[in-house]
Amino acid sequence: MRFLRTALARIAGAFTWHRADADLQDELQSHLDMETAEYVRRGMDPAAARRRALLASGGLIQAAEAVREQRGLPAIERVAADVKYALRALRRSPGFTAVVGLTLALGIGANAAIFSVVRGVLLKPLPHRDGDRLVYLRQSADGPGGANLSFSVPEVRDLRTGVPSLAGIAEYSPWTVIHQGDEGATRVTVGLVTGNYFGVMGLSPVLGRLTRPGDDGPGVAPVMVLTHEYWRKRFGGDSGVVGRQLTLDKQPVTVIGVVQPAPFFPTRVDALLNMVISDHHLSATMVEGRTHRMTEIVARLTPGATVEQAGTEVAAVYARLQAQFPEAYDPAFHYRVAVIPFHQALGERARLTLWLLMGVAAFVLIIAVANVANLTLMRGVRREHELVVRAALGAGVARLRRMLLIENLLLTLLGAFLGGGLAIGGVRLLASLAERYSPRAGEIRLDGPVLGFMLALSFAVALLLSFLASLPREGGFASRILAGATRMSASLRRQRLQRGLVVVQIAVSVVLLAGAGLLTRTMIRLADVTTGLGTEEVLTMQVALLTPTELLANPAADAAAKERYEHMRREIAALPGVIEAGLGSPVPLRSSNVRFDLKAEGRTLAPGEAAPQPELRTANPEFFRAAGIPLLRGRPFAATDGPGSAKVVIINQTLADRLFPNEDPVGRRIAWTGDILRFTPISGDWRTIVGVAGDTRDGGLDAEPRPVVFMPFTQMLAIGGGLVIRADSNVAALAPAATRIVRRIVPTALIENVMTVPQIKNQSVSPRRLNAALVSSFGLLAVIIAAVGIAGVLAFSVSARTNEIGIRMSLGADTGRIQRMILREGGVLLAIGLASGVTGAFFATRAIRGLLFGVVPHDPVTFLAVALMMAAIGVGACWVPALRAARVDPAIAMRAP
Amino acid sequence: MPDKLDVKQGTLALMILKTLEVLGPLHGYGVARRIEEISQNRLTLNYGTLYPALVKLEQEGFVTAEWRQSENNRRAKYYALTAAGRRRLAHEAREWHRTADLIAAFLAPRRAAR
Repeated sequence: MRFLRTALARIAGAFTWHRADADLQDELQSHLDMETAEYVRRGMDPAAARRRALLASGGLIQAAEAVREQRGLPAIERVAADVKYALRALRRSPGFTAVVGLTLALGIGANAAIFSVVRGVLLKPLPHRDGDRLVYLRQSADGPGGANLSFSVPEVRDLRTGVPSLAGIAEYSPWTVIHQGDEGATRVTVGLVTGNYFGVMGLSPVLGRLTRPGDDGPGVAPVMVLTHEYWRKRFGGDSGVVGRQLTLDKQPVTVIGVVQPAPFFPTRVDALLNMVISDHHLSATMVEGRTHRMTEIVARLTPGATVEQAGTEVAAVYARLQAQFPEAYDPAFHYRVAVIPFHQALGERARLTLWLLMGVAAFVLIIAVANVANLTLMRGVRREHELVVRAALGAGVARLRRMLLIENLLLTLLGAFLGGGLAIGGVRLLASLAERYSPRAGEIRLDGPVLGFMLALSFAVALLLSFLASLPREGGFASRILAGATRMSASLRRQRLQRGLVVVQIAVSVVLLAGAGLLTRTMIRLADVTTGLGTEEVLTMQVALLTPTELLANPAADAAAKERYEHMRREIAALPGVIEAGLGSPVPLRSSNVRFDLKAEGRTLAPGEAAPQPELRTANPEFFRAAGIPLLRGRPFAATDGPGSAKVVIINQTLADRLFPNEDPVGRRIAWTGDILRFTPISGDWRTIVGVAGDTRDGGLDAEPRPVVFMPFTQMLAIGGGLVIRADSNVAALAPAATRIVRRIVPTALIENVMTVPQIKNQSVSPRRLNAALVSSFGLLAVIIAAVGIAGVLAFSVSARTNEIGIRMSLGADTGRIQRMILREGGVLLAIGLASGVTGAFFATRAIRGLLFGVVPHDPVTFLAVALMMAAIGVGACWVPALRAARVDPAIAMRAP
Repeated sequence: MPDKLDVKQGTLALMILKTLEVLGPLHGYGVARRIEEISQNRLTLNYGTLYPALVKLEQEGFVTAEWRQSENNRRAKYYALTAAGRRRLAHEAREWHRTADLIAAFLAPRRAAR
């Protein structure tokens, strides 16, 4: 209580300082007067009495100061005075303040923006209840497409009974449905989940209820739970959405609730449904087929169990299964299951890119701080006189240090403030980048911890800067003032420090430039990859007519759909400017996940050799010409290759090389095979190869072409309909007319991915382009800062050596010689910086190997180009101070103090 | 000046409070004179010691201050004890006596008793 009262009085005192001070003066004066009067009364003469009284007082000024200390908040007041002083000093040198503020803004802003992404995507605890107890299970095998196989229902059953470390296993099957709404059809990405899903995941509803075990199995009503994001975006956060019926895949589905915001893995989803929406998921195919793997699983560890324990138990279960079902686990493929903490699985794809960016930002900060340190050191020299005077007037080293700290803190806070502005813009850009890599991108924001991070950075940088400056040591300075020195000699220590900083700047710039160069070359290489289509003037679009259920259950619907696709194709082909229009699914340059084992007649697999697993694609007779895919051998499909005629296929170059090396595949026969065919409408009949098509980059420009088998559009179910339109020029302009035709024929169907080949390529290149652009702009920034740094240090050195240069000149050194002297000084720094930078880059670029395509991490061309560029810029930066040195007039220089 | 004493921390507040209790409202000069008299000039208070102590007591609410006319017609700032100040004085005095007794007992010549 007392303390509080005193504190309040002190705080009040800090504000009523002026009035109280006058009052105190009066009081002290009255004390003095009374004492003087007393001495006079005792018989002293008034002057002596006054002197005596003053002597006894111990000094009025000192007393007033002591009272002030007691009355207000002296520490804060002193800091306030320092702040006031620092602000005045900074205002006096606006150029310095602006350069330092901006440099730090770049460094701090970049770090804050990227840190907020790293935090949101990798570091923040999961919103799930006890999210650190969740694990993701991944089954993988060797061979293409084997990186993540998912699980089959029988496998999940075996894991459920055989792994005591897992308290619950949530099943989740990625699926898409078409929502037929008032505003037309849209594709909705959903997860089909078991009733225990939300319980295992530890998620709660914000509205309504979530699915529960009663929603499992056949014969229940289809229900859906909206994700928070989809609810906000699609329904505007309407709380009346619960109970509403939506038409998904032509079935009525009831919205039962909205789940709390949370990331979904491995794909973002709009809603989660019970399995009943998909006949397939309840069919014997799904429930009995051990190799029918469509289910992702996330499990919760039992209390006390560890990830390693779960991993061991899962491995034991799998060893048993592999012995029991050898046909489902071909030893050649090395089936295995990894147990990964869920939060780690969520960050998997983003981790490398994000740490790259964080590293780059840290490098930029290093360069920025090095530059600011140099500027402060140079400014410090000009201020030495001031510091000496202050020290002589009694400011201790601690006081001077505090003053510097406050000044530097103001600078770094200015930097943080400006950097915060940059970060706000940067975060938006980065969040859209992160969306490609992480389901947690929605959690990225500039929040308290990020602000704290910025403040911490500011304080750290300010501290560092304050302790770099050398202060006049106590004592030993009066002599300098007496000697009339206006500055201490630039000490060797400081010069070495400055040069060290320049070397660091150059080295770090080289590392950044090397990274930027490699990523830029990656991007260029990628954009140069030939897609396999002979022309860029191709427009593709996908039109969905049948739901999977209709496709399987209703042959008549399939025939009708094919007729409508053909109708669209004919009308579009008749549009002016169209050279050819084809049908096929999926359209070129899009990957297909329909893959089966394949066998070739007269060719047996070597022991341990895996059967090829090509993609199944469909094409009509015009498809190859429309897409510009060359037929290397044989013929395209013909109108006569109909449902009733001989079964034919066209294979791509990759498959031909694999199955029939150095042979002509045309006329040979192949057939789909494998256990899984039983569950599909695809027959294992022999099919004759009639042609070989060129490879296309369907899995993205950076992925090797996969083996493909094309079946005639009419000899396969209409698993999807893609239109491929080729024009003589400006094919993009055809999109509206083509879309109108499709709309007229099938008014409610979903039209997707209306894209030209350049647009598809761009989609594949753009993440790399963004990487390259980000790192390049940071690299460029670094180089500019480094160039300014080296020029500044040399200029400073020149001005410090003006006298010496004057003497050299008057002794006969010509301007060329002086220039060379300064250039040599800079050249040494440049050379050391380059050498250490190239060495550093050699190691640093290995870390980004995974982000490169078509270049090795130590690509000599890039390294050479980077070194040359840095050298050129460095020499340019040295030239300015060198010229200035050469213009020194000896007569003036020698007279200068 | 071997018989000059430093004012021990905390004791000055006690002396001021006691002075105000005995003499009633008084200005800083009066307080200083009284303390010097009682100490028989072994204590001298300069302003830098006295006034911060007064300000502190005022902040703590043990004394109040107001400007008044003095007996010989000068304006002076008078300090007066508050109720809280009185309680504080009683408390501090008791504590002081106990401490003093204790210290005296400690410092008394050791008796040879066992």
